[in-house]
Amino acid sequence: MLSPERLALPDYEYLAQRHVLTYMEDAVCQLLENKEDISQYGIARFFTEYFNSVCQGTHILFREFSFIQATPHNRASFLRAFWRCFRTVGKNGDLLTMREYHCLLQLLCPDFPLELTQKAARIVLMDDAVDCLMSFSDFLFAFQIQFYYSEFLESVAAIYQDLLSGKNPNTVIVPTSSSGQHRPRPTLGEASMLEGVEASLFCQCLENLCDRHKYSCPPPALVKEVLSNVQRLTFYGFLVALSKHHGINQALGALPDKGDLMHDPALDEELERLLAQIPGLVNSVTAGPEASCLPARTPPRVGSPWRPLHHTRKVDAESDGSTEETDESET
Amino acid sequence: MIPGKYRSVSGRAASNVNCGLHLVIQTSSLPEKNKVEFKLNKETPSFPGRLLQHDLERNYSSRQGDHINLVSSSMPSFPILQRSSEEKILYSDRLTLERQKLTVCPIIDGEEHLRLLNFQHNFITRIQNISNLQRLIFLDLYDNQIEEISGLSTLRSLRVLLLGKNRIKKISNLENLKSLDVLDLHGNQITKIENVNHLCDLRVLNLARNLLSHVDNLNGLDSLTELNLRHNQITFVRDVDNLPCLQRLFLSFNNISTFESVCCLADSTSLSDITFDGNPIAQESWYKHTILQNMMQLRQLDMKRITEEERRMASVVAKKEEEKKRESHKQSLLKEKKRLTINNVARKWDLQQHRITNIATNQDRKDSDSQDHCQNDGSTISAFPEETRSLDSGLTSALQGLSVTDTHLVEVEGDTLSLYGSGALECLDRNWSVQTAGMVTTVSFTFIEFDEIVQVLPKLKIKFPNSLHLKFKETNLVMLQQFNALAQLRRVDQLTIDPQGNPVVNFTLWKYYVLFRLSHFNMQKINGTEVTQNDMIMAERLFGILAHVASSELPQYHLISILGDARKKQFRYLLETKGKKPGIVNEENNDSKRLVGENTNRATLNYTTRDFYNEKLEEIKEKKKFCKMYIEDLVKEATEINMKNEALQKLWPQMFIELVRDAVMEIRNKNSYMKLCLQQITDQK
Repeated sequence: MLSPERLALPDYEYLAQRHVLTYMEDAVCQLLENKEDISQYGIARFFTEYFNSVCQGTHILFREFSFIQATPHNRASFLRAFWRCFRTVGKNGDLLTMREYHCLLQLLCPDFPLELTQKAARIVLMDDAVDCLMSFSDFLFAFQIQFYYSEFLESVAAIYQDLLSGKNPNTVIVPTSSSGQHRPRPTLGEASMLEGVEASLFCQCLENLCDRHKYSCPPPALVKEVLSNVQRLTFYGFLVALSKHHGINQALGALPDKGDLMHDPALDEELERLLAQIPGLVNSVTAGPEASCLPARTPPRVGSPWRPLHHTRKVDAESDGSTEETDESET
Repeated sequence: MIPGKYRSVSGRAASNVNCGLHLVIQTSSLPEKNKVEFKLNKETPSFPGRLLQHDLERNYSSRQGDHINLVSSSMPSFPILQRSSEEKILYSDRLTLERQKLTVCPIIDGEEHLRLLNFQHNFITRIQNISNLQRLIFLDLYDNQIEEISGLSTLRSLRVLLLGKNRIKKISNLENLKSLDVLDLHGNQITKIENVNHLCDLRVLNLARNLLSHVDNLNGLDSLTELNLRHNQITFVRDVDNLPCLQRLFLSFNNISTFESVCCLADSTSLSDITFDGNPIAQESWYKHTILQNMMQLRQLDMKRITEEERRMASVVAKKEEEKKRESHKQSLLKEKKRLTINNVARKWDLQQHRITNIATNQDRKDSDSQDHCQNDGSTISAFPEETRSLDSGLTSALQGLSVTDTHLVEVEGDTLSLYGSGALECLDRNWSVQTAGMVTTVSFTFIEFDEIVQVLPKLKIKFPNSLHLKFKETNLVMLQQFNALAQLRRVDQLTIDPQGNPVVNFTLWKYYVLFRLSHFNMQKINGTEVTQNDMIMAERLFGILAHVASSELPQYHLISILGDARKKQFRYLLETKGKKPGIVNEENNDSKRLVGENTNRATLNYTTRDFYNEKLEEIKEKKKFCKMYIEDLVKEATEINMKNEALQKLWPQMFIELVRDAVMEIRNKNSYMKLCLQQITDQK
């Protein structure tokens, strides 16, 4: 607990690094917003619920974009929420356009900006026609990279442009780099013939970037891994590789692996229950093995903080007196 | 044409022919106008000529070459006519030269008392050599080859001029014939009525079988009672109302197709007999009653007497037609106005849509456009309110345009309420009769922003409770979220989203989302296609989890803040009843449960219009700032306390040692310490 590095940071910065203040501010703001309602059942309870929801990742539902973007945890929660809510769309096999995905995003966040979705689409489509249809998994993983690492990607783009035009941002910072300094400026013709930039050079720049900047970056080791496989690569090639990399996905921790993307037994069971409630519906045979899974007790495949809490919450339903579960059972 | 041919024609035939003439014409020297009656027939004139012919045919075979001597004269081309003196005395006033194969008019000598001259059925090409016959009253040149009316200028007493079946192209040279009573020009090539205006004694004018294309220039014929214009190419008739005595007008077999082209007939009070058969107008369904209605003075139409019954029917039908015409005129006016307005609204809408890109160029255009509209509609708007008022009171037909200006249009047509343009939404504030409002089952919105429609949906719910079908066209529906707004309505059976102007229709999942979000409506049709059970299942399958997450995983306070006041009570109720055993069910509980149960799931999926949302965010900014400051203060406090705590932690050992040292030092000298303590106690007192 009392590790030296913790004590090394001044208080305010420490709090800021952990984004504690963001949540505190937001909590107080929410409290102000709903004074009358919350005063009915107590402020302590409000704070409990608030921070519980922060932990569970449900605090970002229907919130404004500025809040969702505020912390990495928020972003990851949002990604996860999006996945959970619209996994069924992906499971159904529909290919949707960028605009439609944007619509779905807007269902959860009314003022989500279109540029982000567009950028994500560009990753999937490799900067081609932005109106093509995309599959759910492709879009989701690309969107994850774009949204979670937005600032990082912007810097990477800038670096890429510099490298393309021959400037090497490393010349100042890393004087010992041999290949960087003496590389002659490629003529325009040369640059157009060779696509992208050299991977190793790019890698070095990125490493420096990761060291320098405060916002979240993908783990440098994994980035290196991505770049080590190829000689040259384009910007979008790099992004696609990032989005498809399992390690990075796991490091993020928001989404399951690609193979398991359509799996969510707990919610599937919930869905079956909802379907059964449709008036006049004859019991339909559900497809897939999910229904036959043991309900809600299978150990989580992803080591994320969310799933166990979900189960715990269910267990606590009766004793805790939270109304959501009992509502469900009543209806 | 050899004059010599006719020289041997005898006069006997003429005398016999003279007898034929006898039958018809009275012998009195000056026939009074009224006594000379001629029946004019379209085919063959039934006056002297025919009888003559008949007689002639009877007698002709035996009548060759006698009575009339046509001797050659000094002038090479003209034969000279001479009669025997006894004939001259017998028939001093008449001369018949029928079928004499004459090619020219012979010179008639010594017959200055002649009053009747008959040249029928010859080959005469020019009227000549009769100028000396100044007592002539009756001149018959029927069936010749005359090309021009001429040589009549001295015949001032002429009363009957028969020039039928010739080749006359123009009416002319009749100036001196002021006593003319009957003028027959049928069967010629006359194209125009002219030069007859001075014939104020003319009673009968026959222009049948000519090439007339219209009738006018009839003024001055103050005595005309009969006008025969059959078998021409007449398309319109004028000036007939200037004929004070006209009783019979025959227009059969012409080219008259509308009543307007003969409308002057309505003003003629003297007309009693008219024929139109063989004209296109006679084939029309409205022919008879229109004529009867407009010409009340008629006694015979197409040679048939007009009965009272017919007249009555005609007036009834005419009235009905008038009514119908007026109504259809009104309706077409209304339609036109509507069309213009809709075009206007559409144009404004387009401008609005492209405003973002073209704001500079369009600004001037819009200004000039709106100015034009103001000018144009300055008059029409003032005109129209009267019309709408009269429409409201008078029209029982389904169509009612209730409010029309240049910017929007509201229309109620049976069971459909149509709104065009955003201004039309104001109509929902108006007072609607319960009957009208109750009948409306379909509401259609066009050229209105959906966000604006959302704001009036509560009013719609109240004012038009039976509206079950909503139609949206050109309303800028771009995201699925907007459908959430429709959930606040009472019930929607059918939804029609026109692809035009609504990009949301291009999405693959839009229908399922609608079915999912508005599942409590149990919609029957979307865009005309029936909703199947499978559709409902699919919708639930796709979005069911969203609803589940949105309702059950949302923290309580957030749930309530989204749902707002209305649901707060229900929720609080549920909050309180959650403790009850699930078996106990109240009446109230049931209802609210059902309501809430249906909607809770999706109730949190709301739609706030962009502007509203931004407004809210703006409002929150203040609070956020305050919160930030507040938290900062707290943090400062906390960090201060923390610092102090840490400082204390650091300093404590030292402080403790000092404390102990101080204490030990104090107690080192027992005696002095005892004294000090006692002192302290006494001091305290």
